[in-house]
Amino acid sequence: MANRVDHEYDYLFKIVLIGDSGVGKSNILSRFTRNEFCLESKSTIGVEFATRTLQVEGKTVKAQIWDTAGQERYRAITSAYYRGAVGALLVYDITKSQTFDNVQRWLRELRDHADSNIVIMMAGNKSDLNHLRAVSEEDGHTFAEREGLSFLETSALEATNVEKAFQTILAEIYNIISKKALASQEAAASTTIPGQGTTINIDDSGNTNKRSCCST
Amino acid sequence: MDKKRIDDSDSVPVPSQKLDRFGFVKQELNNSPEGVSKTRLASEYVREERRVRKWRKMIGVGGSDWKHYVRRKPHVVKRRIRKGIPDCLRGLVWQLISGSRDLLLMNPGVYEQLVIYETSASELDIIRDISRTFPSHVFFQQRHGPGQRSLYNVLKAYSVYDREVGYVQGMGFLAGILLLYMSEEDAFWLLVALLKGAVHAPMEGLYLVGLPLVQQYLFQFDQLMKEHLPKLGEHFTQQMINPSMYASQWFITVFSYSFPFHLALRIWDVFLYEGVKIVFKVGLALLKYCLDDLVSFSKISTLFLIRLSGLCCAYGCYMFVYQTSLPFEKLIHALRNFPEDAMDPDKLLPMAYSIKVSKRLEELRQEYERKNGEVAQSADSSVKQKLLR
Repeated sequence: MANRVDHEYDYLFKIVLIGDSGVGKSNILSRFTRNEFCLESKSTIGVEFATRTLQVEGKTVKAQIWDTAGQERYRAITSAYYRGAVGALLVYDITKSQTFDNVQRWLRELRDHADSNIVIMMAGNKSDLNHLRAVSEEDGHTFAEREGLSFLETSALEATNVEKAFQTILAEIYNIISKKALASQEAAASTTIPGQGTTINIDDSGNTNKRSCCST
Repeated sequence: MDKKRIDDSDSVPVPSQKLDRFGFVKQELNNSPEGVSKTRLASEYVREERRVRKWRKMIGVGGSDWKHYVRRKPHVVKRRIRKGIPDCLRGLVWQLISGSRDLLLMNPGVYEQLVIYETSASELDIIRDISRTFPSHVFFQQRHGPGQRSLYNVLKAYSVYDREVGYVQGMGFLAGILLLYMSEEDAFWLLVALLKGAVHAPMEGLYLVGLPLVQQYLFQFDQLMKEHLPKLGEHFTQQMINPSMYASQWFITVFSYSFPFHLALRIWDVFLYEGVKIVFKVGLALLKYCLDDLVSFSKISTLFLIRLSGLCCAYGCYMFVYQTSLPFEKLIHALRNFPEDAMDPDKLLPMAYSIKVSKRLEELRQEYERKNGEVAQSADSSVKQKLLR
């Protein structure tokens, strides 16, 4: 029963890591969960999994992260993992414009398979390779703004902004949840149908997805 | 020809890094007393010599007696393969048992044509993954070195040969394991034999759009697991653990992705002779071997389910389920990090051989096909016919 100590957290959030193959998803995960980076990592086959518990807005939050294979063919397996995810870190490689161009397709994937309220952070990874840059930070910002996504450039190698990217997603999820909890409590108090708390839509995150629906 | 091993290759620089006997960089600090391994090696050496002699007799010069021997004594062959093919003959025997030798002989010059004259839409995808395939093996480590070049050539050739499959991540591990035991061209034809089904059912469905065969295998494995290990099956269902979380790599790379290499080789010996059912058997044996650990993890969970289900969460009902995730995580971890003793081929494989799956596998395949409509099966068999023409 010593395990119980592990288990003390207030919230558990499921996050998916998506994006083209080779953009550095697995290294972002290992940097975040184990503070490790491996230049010689194997390509991910199927899905990998890791967790980390951290403090978000004074609460103990456990992030349960599913790292998915990036190659298109693998979506047959990986898209099942979007279900139940409350956050997504959508990664591209700032040195490969193709991976940035494909962000749109990944958003479509999320729309098709994930919860409509999912919180999405776009990360332009490999910011340490500035001399090979093919996507400007400004383009990243503009795109993210248009699609209503959070955005950061990260470097798993130099441990830049990896922590912050996850912190931001988790805080955003937490804020939505606490508002929702409040709303559902109020709804429960006034209507006495407590079970319906889960179906409430929240405006502040809903618009991000609505907007991306109309684009493409 | 079938030896492309570090011990007889001159081009490999004297490594400052320690390698294991298969050429993988040793990760752990190795403080094991030298004497123990030496004495064990000495007795093993004598035994190995005897085995090699037996095998050479069975194969004949360049494999000339092989077919005859298999026809006459299939059970002896099966038994000997299950004990492990001697490492020095592995490359040759793999080609004989997979039917790739025949493909090579029937298609002279084809490989060269594919490598030199054709272009593939997957070239960039392949290049991206080259350094991410067996990165800790000395043969594949050197950037643009002979290992990486061969790997690229084989994968490119395959992606041209079978444009419908093209290149899919995971294929590199199959090609990689083959290239450690044979030449590029031989490795290519063995890959063809496997994926197009020269001897056993074709496995190209592992990599076709939608990964249909992966889905079928996972379905079959899930059912088999529930039948053979009902208690574990129940716990996994409770914990919402399904085989795609831990077993997709087993099938997609036939255990070559993350399993200890000496075990992977032994599995490949049997896999090439008996077919994919050994992957199911080994998977089941692993779960069976670790049953007590896996089930005790799960027992803890029910307590937490009660304790935690009171937590308020407004983000959807699935959050409730994930609140019980301590055992879930431990289970996933355990399923991806089997203990060292479970990875001992001489313990695991006899257990695997004792599990009977053939009949149920076929029934489950039919069941799966009924569920998913009659697909691809007829196409598969016609390809096989064509190949063997």
